[in-house]
Amino acid sequence: MSFRPVLFACAAALALSACRSKEGAGAQGAPSPGPAAAAPSQKVGLVIDVGGRGDHSFNDSALRGLETWAAGKALSANRYTPLPPGALEASLPQELRTLTPPIRAVAVEPVVLSSKAQEDYEPNLQLLVDQGAGLVIATGFMLENATETVARRNPSARFLLIDSTLLDPAGNPIGLPNVRSVVFREEEGSFLAGALAGLVTKGTVGFVGGMEISLVKKFEAGFRAGVATTNPAARVLAAYTGNFDDVAAGKQVGADLLAKGADVLFHAAGSDGVGVIQAVKEARAGGAQAWAIGVDSDQHHLAPDAVLTSMVKRVDLAVYEAARDVAAGRFTAGDTALGLAQKGVGLAEVRAEFPGKAEALAKVEALRQRIVSGGLTIPATLEGLPSFKAQP
Amino acid sequence: MADGRLARALPSLLAVTAALGACFVALAAALGDAGLAAEAFGQMALGGFGDVPRWLSTGDAAAVLRPLGESAGKASVLLLAGLSVAVAFQVGLFNIGAQGQLLWGGLAAAVVGAAVQLPPALHLPVCLLAAAAAGAAWALLPTALKLRRGVHEVISTIMLNWVAVALVENWLVVGPLQGPAGAGTAEVHPSAVMPRLLGESSRLNLGLPLSLAAAAAVAAWLLRTTHGLETRAVGRGQEAARAAGLPVEGRTWTAMAVAGALAGLAGAVLVLGSELRYPGRLAAPYGFDGIAMALIGGNHPLGVAASSLLFGALRAGGTRMQLLGVHRGFPELIQGLALLFVAARLGWAWLLLRRKETPRA
Repeated sequence: MSFRPVLFACAAALALSACRSKEGAGAQGAPSPGPAAAAPSQKVGLVIDVGGRGDHSFNDSALRGLETWAAGKALSANRYTPLPPGALEASLPQELRTLTPPIRAVAVEPVVLSSKAQEDYEPNLQLLVDQGAGLVIATGFMLENATETVARRNPSARFLLIDSTLLDPAGNPIGLPNVRSVVFREEEGSFLAGALAGLVTKGTVGFVGGMEISLVKKFEAGFRAGVATTNPAARVLAAYTGNFDDVAAGKQVGADLLAKGADVLFHAAGSDGVGVIQAVKEARAGGAQAWAIGVDSDQHHLAPDAVLTSMVKRVDLAVYEAARDVAAGRFTAGDTALGLAQKGVGLAEVRAEFPGKAEALAKVEALRQRIVSGGLTIPATLEGLPSFKAQP
Repeated sequence: MADGRLARALPSLLAVTAALGACFVALAAALGDAGLAAEAFGQMALGGFGDVPRWLSTGDAAAVLRPLGESAGKASVLLLAGLSVAVAFQVGLFNIGAQGQLLWGGLAAAVVGAAVQLPPALHLPVCLLAAAAAGAAWALLPTALKLRRGVHEVISTIMLNWVAVALVENWLVVGPLQGPAGAGTAEVHPSAVMPRLLGESSRLNLGLPLSLAAAAAVAAWLLRTTHGLETRAVGRGQEAARAAGLPVEGRTWTAMAVAGALAGLAGAVLVLGSELRYPGRLAAPYGFDGIAMALIGGNHPLGVAASSLLFGALRAGGTRMQLLGVHRGFPELIQGLALLFVAARLGWAWLLLRRKETPRA
C-alpha cells in the first residue's frame, strides 16, 4: 500500500468525469427551458416557500394551478411534458368543470423555484424577473416582505402574492400598481369542516395547526365555530406543530390528539398534515374509529378510507386566473378576498361513508347557503368566538 | 517545516478536488445526462459568482453584484456558525448547539434593533453586542452543566436547540414579541440595519467583513496568544493541561462563551442583514451547517473561512440549478459529499505519513 494508487484513482475519477462531460455536451440537445420553445408563450415564475413541492396541500395547489391548468404540462424526470388529452379536464374538481370561460391551458411556460431559507425569497423572486417572467407568483404570506421589495425595484414586472396583502411596517395593507394579492376567508371553509366534524364525532375533535400565527388561527376559529354550531357539547382540542414542513411533527401531534380522545382531526399545517393523516390512518388500522379532514388541496388520495373531506382553498384557481390574465394581456393589480361565495374556499366532495351521512351533508349545505347569502358571519379570530357562540 | 505543511494541506486539497469531481459524476449519473450536469454547474457558477455574461452584454452591473451579495450573505452566516463550532472544538467540546445560540442571537438583535432608539453609530454595535451576549448566555448553560455536573455537551447542546426553537419560534416570535405585520417581530430601525456596501442593488453588507474579521481575530487569539495556546492545550488533553497547572475550567468557560457569541452574531447577520426583523421562522439550519464548515475547514479559522466562502457561493448559486429542473437540495448534497471526503482524509493522511516515515525509520 502506498499513496500512489490513491492518487491514480483520483486522477482516473477526474478524467472520467471530464470525459463524460465532453461526450455529453456533444451528444445532447439539452431541452433547456429557454425562449426557443414554440409560440409566443410567456414565462410565468412561481416561488414556493420552504415547505417545497409535494406537500399535497398548499404548495401543490399553487403548482397545480400553474403547471397543470395554466400550462397544461406535467413534470416528470426534471422536465415538463405536455399533458395527454383529457388529463387537464380530469384533474378539475366537479365545481370547476362548469366554469365559464372553462379552464384550459394558455400560452405560458412555468418556471418554479423552491426556497431553501427565508432569505432566499428575495433573490428567487428577482431571479424570475431577470429570467423575463411575465408574471411572478409568490405563494405564501412568508414572501410578503420580499415581494414588496422586488416589486418596488422592478415596477415593470407583475406579481401575484397569495395569502397576504402587501403590508407596511405598521401592518396596514398597501397596494402597488404591479401586484395582485389574493387572500382567502379560510374561516368560512373551516366552519363547514367544523360543522361536519361536529356531526360525525362521538364527543371530541382535534385541530392541528402549523405555525401559531393569525393566518392559521383563522382556520381554528372557523373550525371551532363550526363544531359549536352543530354539536355544542363537543370538546375541541387544538395543538400547533410550529412549522409547515415537518411530517414527523404532524404525525406526533396528530397521534397525541387521538390519544386524548379526538376522533376527527382537522389540520391546517402544510406538509405536517400528511403526518396527521398518517396518524389517523394508523389509528384506524388499530381498530379506532377516526377521521382526518385535509386542507388546501383535496387530500382524499392520501388515505381514501381515513379522509372525511378536505377544506379546499382554491389557490390553484387564483394562480390559474392570474396566469390566464397575463397570457391574455389583461392582468390587473389589486387585492382580492375569496370566501365561500366566490368558491375560493369550500369542502371537497365527501366520499367517505358514515352513518347519517345524507342528513349531515344536508345540514352542512344549509349552513353553507346561510354564509353565502350573508346570513351568517364566521369569526376570523379566536377572540371573535365568544360573541359568535352567543348568537341565537 | 514546509514539507509538514504540505503533508497537512495535501489531503484537504485532494479531498476537495475529489469531492467536487465525485459530485459532478454523481450529478451526471443522477440526471443521466452529463451535458445537463455541466449546464447545471454553469448555472450554479452564474448564481454564485455573478452573471458575468449578462453584465458584459447589457452593462447591468446588478447581474453580478446581486448574486455576489447573496453568496456573501450565506458565506458570512456559515462562517460565523462554523467558527462557533471550531472554537468549541479547540477546547475539546462539540458544540452542536450553535443553532440554538444562533436563534437567540437573531432574536436579541431583532428586539434591540426594534425597541431601542440610538444614534446609528451606536445602534448597530449595541445590537451586535446583544446578539453575542444572548448567544454566549445560551452556550454557557451546557458549559455549566458540563463543568458542574458532568453532563455531556453533545447531549445538552443538541437538546437545548429544541428548547430554543420552542421558546423563540413557537412562543416569543408568534406571541409576546410579535410585530404589527404578523408572523415575526417588528421591523428594526434603519439605524440598526447592516450597511450595504455595494448600494441597494446588492444585499452584500457589513456581515461579510465582520465575519472575516471574526475569523482573523479567532485565528490570532488561538494561534498567537498564550491564552489561545492554553485553550488549545485544554482541548488536546485536559488532564495534561490540568497537571501543567492550566486553568482548565476558566479556559472552557471562555471558549464556550466565544463560541456562543459567534453563533449569536451569525443570527444577527441574518436578521440585521437581510430579514430586518426576526421572521416567523429563521428557517435554514445554519447552526448545523456550521459543524460541516468547521470539519471541512479542519477547525482552523482560516480553513473555516475558505470552506464557508466556497459553500456560501455554492448554496446561493444552487438556486439557479432549479431553472434546469435540478432538485433544490443539491447544494446540500455536495456539502455532505465534501464532508464525507474530508472525513476520509484522515485515512489518506495516514497513508501519506506511513510512506514518509518508512524511509526515516
